[in-house]
Amino acid sequence: MKLITAVIKPFKLDDVKAALQAFGVRGLTVTEASGYGRQRGHTEVYRGAEYQVDLVPKVRVEVLCEDEDADDLIEVVVKAAQTGRIGDGKVWSVPVETVARVRTGERGPGAI
Amino acid sequence: MKSFAADRARRTGQADEWLAGLLGAEAGVALVAVGGYGRKELLPKSDLDVMLLHGGRDDITSIADRIWYPVWDSGVELDHAVRTVPQARRVARGDLKVALGLLSARHVAGDPDLTQRLRAGALEDWRSDAPARLAELHAAHDERAKVIGELAFLLEPDLKEARGGLRDVHAIQAVAAAWVGPAPGPRVRTAYEQILDVRHALHEVTGRRLDRLVLEEHDEVARALGLLDGDVLVRILAGAARTVAYAADHAFREAARLRSRRPRRGRPADRSPLADGVVEQDDEVVLARAADPARDPALVLRAAAAAAQAGLPLAPRTLARLTQCPPLPVPWPAPARDALLALLGAGPAAIGVWEALDTEGLVAALLPDWERVRNRPQRNPLHKFTVDRHLAETAAHAAALTREVARPDLLLLAALLHDIGKGWPGDHSITGEIVARDAARRMGLPDPDVELVASAVRHHLLLPMVATRRDLDDPVTVTQVACVVRSRALLELLHALAIADGQATGPAAWNDWKATLVADLVRRVGAVLAGEPTPEPRALRPDQLALAAGGGPAATVRGSEVTVVAPDRPDLLWRAAGVLASHRLTVRSANATSVGSTAVTVFDVEPEFGDPPDATLVAGDLRRMLQGHLDVQERLDRRARAVKPRAAATVPAPRVSLVDGASQTATVVEVRAHDAPGLLWRVGRALGECGLDVRAARVETLGAEVVDVFYVTDSAGQPLVGQQLRGHTVTAVLQALRPDPATADDR
Repeated sequence: MKLITAVIKPFKLDDVKAALQAFGVRGLTVTEASGYGRQRGHTEVYRGAEYQVDLVPKVRVEVLCEDEDADDLIEVVVKAAQTGRIGDGKVWSVPVETVARVRTGERGPGAI
Repeated sequence: MKSFAADRARRTGQADEWLAGLLGAEAGVALVAVGGYGRKELLPKSDLDVMLLHGGRDDITSIADRIWYPVWDSGVELDHAVRTVPQARRVARGDLKVALGLLSARHVAGDPDLTQRLRAGALEDWRSDAPARLAELHAAHDERAKVIGELAFLLEPDLKEARGGLRDVHAIQAVAAAWVGPAPGPRVRTAYEQILDVRHALHEVTGRRLDRLVLEEHDEVARALGLLDGDVLVRILAGAARTVAYAADHAFREAARLRSRRPRRGRPADRSPLADGVVEQDDEVVLARAADPARDPALVLRAAAAAAQAGLPLAPRTLARLTQCPPLPVPWPAPARDALLALLGAGPAAIGVWEALDTEGLVAALLPDWERVRNRPQRNPLHKFTVDRHLAETAAHAAALTREVARPDLLLLAALLHDIGKGWPGDHSITGEIVARDAARRMGLPDPDVELVASAVRHHLLLPMVATRRDLDDPVTVTQVACVVRSRALLELLHALAIADGQATGPAAWNDWKATLVADLVRRVGAVLAGEPTPEPRALRPDQLALAAGGGPAATVRGSEVTVVAPDRPDLLWRAAGVLASHRLTVRSANATSVGSTAVTVFDVEPEFGDPPDATLVAGDLRRMLQGHLDVQERLDRRARAVKPRAAATVPAPRVSLVDGASQTATVVEVRAHDAPGLLWRVGRALGECGLDVRAARVETLGAEVVDVFYVTDSAGQPLVGQQLRGHTVTAVLQALRPDPATADDR
């Protein structure tokens, strides 16, 4: 199993959610996050006289999936979150050892 | 609503019988029920709170074993103690919780004399230690209210510990046991039974000893109580909790009187005036002797505003008298509107006063639609409070943002009304706009202001919604918002309202993440919108022009309007304001302008309290000032010394800014601050000491907040350019806005 994590622009969350649902993903976790990448938070913000932001607001989306779906899922997220501009975000996957569903105690891929 | 009282009585009876059987016939010992068990309130999952009382028997351990072990084995939670009467009294004197438990001690089995000795001794100790114990009780209550919150307004309340919950009734009983306050009346007893029944049903439904009514359980608990749904349950609970909280406050006030050792009667009352017809007495706000509620519809709001601004509660008997006030005429007179704004502008201090008004039905009399949101629960995991309390909380948070907007008055009204549409079916922003427009009209706001308030309510979710869900880099997003908002005044209002609304909703609804996004959107939209014109002095009426044509010096006082005319005098405004302040007149608005070489200032004033001063005296002093025969500063100092300083409501720090481009011939200094006696005098003098001439000015008092605009020039008659002078001006005015250090020291 894999954990896909995507850090995207907040306004793209609805698009990403819709795309993931269309793909068949049943659950996801969303967190409000802040950070910066190569752009260092400066290029995409309006710079008023006394305004300077180092950390740009982002949304972090996490999805669990089976190994064979991981590449496709990353593709789906990238397509949905893309604007082509700086600060669009990142998507990555990491291997997951085990998953358990709290309600039933089910283990493994069935618990995703 | 179904009552479980019989069930509790049955459980108690069974427990009594069981324990009595376990004790058997023993001389010199008694089983005593304390706490909830002592009050015969055994809920399905309550623990048994039992004390084994003895007269000093050596074999008491074996008797205890004979009782405790079967109880433990049965799985019932047991809170137990083995003590002699002196031991029990000693422990109680050192532990408030034990002392409170003993106040409800009840004989279960054994030697009734022992129990009787314990009860009498515990009561005697409680009464003799009352001043200290009641203070401890009060402190514990305040701490619980702070940490746990209020039963009436929380969506997931703790039935036992929250303010207005079961523990508050025990506290009232404890105050009564000390012969300090009245025992709980029938309304409080009914409320107590209702809350207890809800807790009973919660135990039944969850099968656990829970006190917190979480959202998931609302509907099932409601069904167990024979109610339609969770909403009905929450409303009943809120009503009961308000009754309890109100009675508890009263009990604690009585207890505080005991501590301060002030006899209630036979002592000349120390009264000091707060507003017209409103005085402070014994740390409460009461009506002045001359006040006449039956003829003074604005008295409700005036008293409430005075209480909130002074950070004091309204006395219960005063609240009762205020219900005699006739309804306000529609549209409201300006003083009523100002008082409402001063009340809301007091921030957190306003919430308690507002709730007190609401308990007497006075809020619904002011805002008929309030009844529809009163005690209304919200089915939303972000929300912490019922709708009515959320509105009051939002207004309190908005009070901290009054310096961020040009119209603090409209911000406070929009905050109070923003979710008022939740009382109606449909999108609450849309229904809210209609209700808010109607309410703002009733309050007598001018049409453009009515529309601003209505629009702010209509679009109060716009900024957070767009900021978190639309692409801010896309010019279309910004243009669309700009098209809806259309003015900077509304943009400012919506921004401040979004912050206050988010903060009042709960910790999950507002954070730095959201604040950054919303601020970014506001900046982008602000850049698209044209700036609002700075308010300019109003044109003079013909009679005022005629007076100006005379050239002065002249001063007339007609009703609340004071007109002062003098040959070109840039200091006229603030010196005249100083004279008015020395006659304890508050400047509601002022308009300073020049006609040729004549300076004309028109003031709208009202007395701080009591009857207005003699117009002839005021006009005379103004003329003496114009001739240079009056030391205004000395007058004001003398008055400041005579006034008792008072801790005021916490208000945001003042803000002073220089607005460029508003005028070609002068620099505009904008001052936003909390109103205070002599404010205009202090600001004007500070400008004068910077070597600046005040050419024109417009001063507005909005509730308890002032927004003043001064058109100033340097000594050469030019706008301010030098960075040093500009910086110095702002610092000097801010300095002048600080509370007087002499009075501050006295506090």
